[in-house]
Amino acid sequence: MLRRVLSGHLRVCACLFTLVVAFVSPALAGDQGPSEDQQNNLKQLSLEQLSQIEVTTPSKEPVKAFDTPAAIFVITSEDIRRAGVTTIPEALRLAPGVEVARIDSNKWSIGIRGFGSRLARNVLVLIDGRTVYTTLLAGTYWEVQDTVLEDIDRIEVIRGPGGTIWGPNAVDGVINIITKPVKETQGLLASADTGSFEHGTATIRYGSANSKDLQYRFYGKGFSRGPEYHPDNRNFDDWFGGQAGGRVDWQRDPANNFTFQGDIYDDRDGESVVATTYAPPYQQVLDDYARLSGGNFLARWDREQGEGKSFELQAYYDRTNRREPNFADLRDTFDLDFTQHWRFFSNNNVTWGLGARFSHGHDLEVVSGLTFDPSERTDRLLTAFFQDEITLVPKKLSLTVGTKLLNTNFTAFAPEPSARVMWTPTRTTAVWAAATHAVRTPSDAERDFYLTGFVGIFPGGIPAFARFNANRNFQPEQMNGYELGFRQMLGKNIYFDIASFYTHYHDLFSEDILGGFSLETTPPPPHYLLPAEFGNGLLGDTKGIEFSPEWRPADNWRLRLSYSFLHMSIEKSPGSLDIGTIPGIIGSSPEHQVYAESQYDLTKSLQFDFDYRYVSDLPGQMPYSTVPNYYVRAYSTADARFGWQLNPNLDLSFVGRNLLQPHHPEFGSDPAADSFNVALVGIKRSAYVKLTWTSSR
Amino acid sequence: MRLRTNLNSRASLPASAPAVYIALLLLLTAVLLLSPIVVVAQPPATPTETQVEAAFLFKFGSFVTWPNPAPNNTFAICVLGRDPFGPALDSIVKGESLDGVPFSVRHIGEPSEASACRIVFVSSSEQERVRPLLTELAKLPVLTVADMPHFNDRGGMVQFVLENGRVRFEVNLTSAEKSGLTLSSQLLKVASAVKRDGGRD
Repeated sequence: MLRRVLSGHLRVCACLFTLVVAFVSPALAGDQGPSEDQQNNLKQLSLEQLSQIEVTTPSKEPVKAFDTPAAIFVITSEDIRRAGVTTIPEALRLAPGVEVARIDSNKWSIGIRGFGSRLARNVLVLIDGRTVYTTLLAGTYWEVQDTVLEDIDRIEVIRGPGGTIWGPNAVDGVINIITKPVKETQGLLASADTGSFEHGTATIRYGSANSKDLQYRFYGKGFSRGPEYHPDNRNFDDWFGGQAGGRVDWQRDPANNFTFQGDIYDDRDGESVVATTYAPPYQQVLDDYARLSGGNFLARWDREQGEGKSFELQAYYDRTNRREPNFADLRDTFDLDFTQHWRFFSNNNVTWGLGARFSHGHDLEVVSGLTFDPSERTDRLLTAFFQDEITLVPKKLSLTVGTKLLNTNFTAFAPEPSARVMWTPTRTTAVWAAATHAVRTPSDAERDFYLTGFVGIFPGGIPAFARFNANRNFQPEQMNGYELGFRQMLGKNIYFDIASFYTHYHDLFSEDILGGFSLETTPPPPHYLLPAEFGNGLLGDTKGIEFSPEWRPADNWRLRLSYSFLHMSIEKSPGSLDIGTIPGIIGSSPEHQVYAESQYDLTKSLQFDFDYRYVSDLPGQMPYSTVPNYYVRAYSTADARFGWQLNPNLDLSFVGRNLLQPHHPEFGSDPAADSFNVALVGIKRSAYVKLTWTSSR
Repeated sequence: MRLRTNLNSRASLPASAPAVYIALLLLLTAVLLLSPIVVVAQPPATPTETQVEAAFLFKFGSFVTWPNPAPNNTFAICVLGRDPFGPALDSIVKGESLDGVPFSVRHIGEPSEASACRIVFVSSSEQERVRPLLTELAKLPVLTVADMPHFNDRGGMVQFVLENGRVRFEVNLTSAEKSGLTLSSQLLKVASAVKRDGGRD
């Protein structure tokens, strides 16, 4: 064990050393020339010429994120482009403290500061203000969260609880995906890619304006991706689909801004699921496509009221239709939110809001071993929150306190209070601390869900099953988080951010065995049943630190590093009947993660970017296999992108992903994924070429 | 005992031509190895947003008339709050002067320090308190500039906006005139919008 850990570290060290050498050698050339030349060129231009010159918009986020008393990391549109990623979950690898593991071609396990799982039940995910977290099985179906990646303005990743503002289930973090205003996406964009794993993606987006105050855009995209590597050749996980949508931004007058947007999609996602039935054959592995479709429509009104007041009113409708080989859910969600900002006495900045969401789900029984009772149900969420940011010493010290009150059909009123302190002793140093309480609300998965697993044939030829019965007494999972962070700018080109946390959890999700086998006659035929249910039988804590420096050695070169350490300790609470899920929970989140990245402009039209990542082993991730010690090992891999601007309209890029080995597993099976892999799926080395055409606007 | 029935055993799609794939890898490897050599002294691709904004700040001086002579015989471009420009602004004004008055860059934390400034760029770090800041700054003959949304609505004079990947600017003429500044018609012609109604509250 120790040897493995050590060798893992040595490998990291060796690779980092190589990177540092690669980074430093050109830096030694001490090349500040281009910057000055360029500035000299710029100042020769006239006003007209300046306003015609096309610019890149690198992250301004260190400036904005600097004063935020939370562990925030912002992935910019440029970061996404230069990382060469083709999906939103892959883009999340850029953020420290986020664990992204690709389970297979169309599934990911994502966690923030621990508890990585297929659906990430403790992480709240929003796209343009629309919550995509589902109360069906508690979490986010990552494979259907997509848009034109070029139109994403930024992804804000907040590690740690964000319940006060963002709402329930923002226990371990919030992922907030924001697309660009329509003003910034005018003209035509057409792109196509093809490669070894990315069989092909074609995207077209067109933006235009009716007048200066009303702009619109619409898009369509289609994709097809191959399966990952399966040692047993069950290449079930290829997927393809299409999505279309649009957005209108209307400025009625400077004080009133409206946004209307919507999307529709239809995907086929290959998956392997277990179908359990009380009648023979009792259990089958089904390799089939899930048919996933849906759509949404959102309207928002931003109003500046004057005298330091402004509000936004937002309403949306979302439909998701999941038809998997073993169950189906048709869900309609309606949501209404009101938020007002109000500053008064020059030192108070109040935000308060009200929200209501109704989500109607209709679950069809496909196999008798996986049912919901009742099969049709409306989930309710009512929220009210208040937060005040109080400036104690102007520009030096501020305190933010607030709480959210929420009510769902699963819980009575639950508060989510928080207190945050921000201290900026100088303009280049910031220290923050936070104490927060957050809850993960129960979902249909615990309250109305019946999940059966086949155990075997008992003497007399009678089949035996274990079944998780619905637990109407399942309580919210509770957490108390304590965080301390530090940010520093050194000169103009070096920035670093350190965040540390200690989080205590109780009433955590457990899998409880309630008794012994007994004979059950309904549903027929007669069978033995071991009763079980999801309970609140675990407690524990997590602690860790995330260190993420950034260095810009020259104007055309950006280097970033992040290291995340996580330690989880989970135990049974007194009287717990948990079957023994702890090693699986702790062993599914990596203790160490490293991400190092270089973005370099070689010339005016050539860019070269690469990254290196290391993830420590996941001993909790082992498939149902007879091979001893068969689990997800630590891995290092790298990605690279070479971009070539052929002319002002045409951009060609070559991208290689997972370059350091032919394939490597990142995750095993996941209970929530319902999969039944007998071999770990390897994530393949792959390459693709991409052509992007942008109209000269 | 585990029964397995692959209801839909789909053949995998044919792999793409391995030759293309290997060629791509070789290309990437070659670039990886060459990069430290190629690196030397190539100008970066397109300028960044802040570099162009810095150039504008430098240019604006020629298109604005102030009611008073330059304080301390210096044309001071002040950055209020956290500096987004890095070395860009310093290098652009280095050694430059306007009508014999040398340029300088100053960093200030409060509007009370702005009396020696010609242009005040209000950093996005001050977004939360921009309204009281502008009330104070309006008492001084300084050109207020920012790249945050709603800056001109709140009484700012020049607001950078990003349009189709280009930095443009909008002008609030009323705010500028209230502070005694005269903006040349050339400046207004280039502006993407000129507002005459002033701030709203």
